[in-house]
Amino acid sequence: MFRILRDLLKTNGEFALGAALTGLVFVIAALSFVSPQPPLDVYVVPPDLPPGWPYVFGTTSRGQDVFWQLTFAIRNTLLFGLTVALLSRVISLVVGLLSGYKGGWVDRLLMSINDTFIVIPLLPILVLLYFVMRDRMTWGWLALTMALLGWAYDARLIRSVALSLRHRDFTRTSVFSGMSTREILQREHMPYVLPIVFSTTLNNMNWSIGLEVTLAVLGFTDINSPSIGGMIYWANQHTALVAGIWWWIAFPVALVMMVFIGLYLLAVSLNEYIDPRSRLSRMGIGA
Amino acid sequence: MSDVVLSVQGLKAYYMTRHFGVQREVRAVDGIDFEVRRNEIYGLAGESSSGKTTLIKTIAAAWKPPLQIVAGTVRFSFAPDILRCKPDELARLRWKHLAIIVQGSMSVLNPVRRIRESFVDFAFRHLGVARAAFDQRVAAHLARVRLDPGIVDAYPHELSGGMRQRVTIALATICRPEFVIADEPTTALDVLVQKDVLDMMREVQREIGSSMLLVTHDLGVHAHVADRMGIMYAGRLVEEAPTAELFRAPRHPYTAHLVASLPRIGDRTARKPLEGTPPNLAAPPAGCRFHPRCPLAMDRCRTEVPPMQVVAPQHRVACFAVRT
Repeated sequence: MFRILRDLLKTNGEFALGAALTGLVFVIAALSFVSPQPPLDVYVVPPDLPPGWPYVFGTTSRGQDVFWQLTFAIRNTLLFGLTVALLSRVISLVVGLLSGYKGGWVDRLLMSINDTFIVIPLLPILVLLYFVMRDRMTWGWLALTMALLGWAYDARLIRSVALSLRHRDFTRTSVFSGMSTREILQREHMPYVLPIVFSTTLNNMNWSIGLEVTLAVLGFTDINSPSIGGMIYWANQHTALVAGIWWWIAFPVALVMMVFIGLYLLAVSLNEYIDPRSRLSRMGIGA
Repeated sequence: MSDVVLSVQGLKAYYMTRHFGVQREVRAVDGIDFEVRRNEIYGLAGESSSGKTTLIKTIAAAWKPPLQIVAGTVRFSFAPDILRCKPDELARLRWKHLAIIVQGSMSVLNPVRRIRESFVDFAFRHLGVARAAFDQRVAAHLARVRLDPGIVDAYPHELSGGMRQRVTIALATICRPEFVIADEPTTALDVLVQKDVLDMMREVQREIGSSMLLVTHDLGVHAHVADRMGIMYAGRLVEEAPTAELFRAPRHPYTAHLVASLPRIGDRTARKPLEGTPPNLAAPPAGCRFHPRCPLAMDRCRTEVPPMQVVAPQHRVACFAVRT
């Protein structure tokens, strides 16, 4: 595992760049634990100062230090992305493996539910949910909702792999030796699909972070817990761009873009590593 | 006879499909009788699509729709009627009494699981011993198939083809089953490794005293290990004899052609091919299924199915042209 990572870092430029960007973002998020200022307090520093010393990224019109504010915001945003990704991975693994292995009516039932989730338009539903739940729409509920909405594509992907695993000899031998369905899925098939799941996790994080930022910018989330979208929301509320406080918007946007690009590069390069067909083409064999 | 381990009688298994109201039945196994005795390797030969694999599936009671058992019984010494066993009874029989080495057994091992884990997955539940004792037994058994017990921590791709084949044979025989079904166990190996694996397989089989049904189209393999063998053609058994006798004096015209087609050292003459192709089992020819290609075909062959008749001790042939 570690050797693979080391080799990827050495030979794959995309992976190295992605790892560097993501690593940097995680370091910034970790800095929130040593922040001198509590994230929710306002007017703790002089407002509207441009980037410089001691306020590296400047200060906001609400008297907050953009840099330290950013560390909290990115931590929450990453945590949100990870939670959604992990929760939805559980659902998509269970649905995908079961549906692909069992086939028949189980497959048809699960896949019709799955396809329903694929075609549902997400943004209107999330906005609607916010208007229904209002203040009860906390961070956790939003993560749960997104996880429930975000598993469908990857369940289909996992199902397609499970469909082929189902006909392999080791599956037949497992059945013949008397293993139960749960044991086969968990012990024989799950290790096989985990690399794919790993790669889709990164994509799913990107997707959930993107949606969370979108909702927060529009003010459809809990605006009191700091997040990247929340920072942009407050900057807009204070007409930061008109007032010339560009650093209030530019740094959150730049940081979240680093997250997107970093995770995307990681996902793409890992995918290339995992997918034997693209590995072949990289070696100059086959299409 | 008490030392008969497997007895198959009048077995018929058809693939029944119904697509858009069109009923179709493929008669893959159509009336087969044979017996396998204790401590014996019974070789089953036949070209592709002669119903070998279907027969195995049926005997192992691992058939699934559209395959259906139409008639016949399969009797094991440890299971009076395996075709009518309930799933939990089957689960108790399998692996402990009846093991299988499936076709292309290179892929029996899950590529993302270590060998040790495969042993635990397949065999642990059937042995009923503690984990430490199980590990010891795996090590001892691997040594018996001449593998380094250290390979239990390897992944399948770290082993050579021959080693993997040995592992699968070890997997199938660790519970000392009374009966082992081997479906093309050595097809993917080169001849040298093949000989090695076959010798080892025979050795293990003799040691644990199990019976084996060996299925392959490779007559060389049969000649090497089988005690008796049966020749299948288009879903039926056409000849059965002790291996040496079958190669020395084949009686059925199909077997005769099959044996004559084998290369012999020093003989450079070209082999005469048999005209035609095996019949479509969805619409097999009436009477003897070999008659369209048979040089000895008579009128009777086109309408009547020749029964198996004994022509010599332990030698049975299904052909009207053969005189007893």
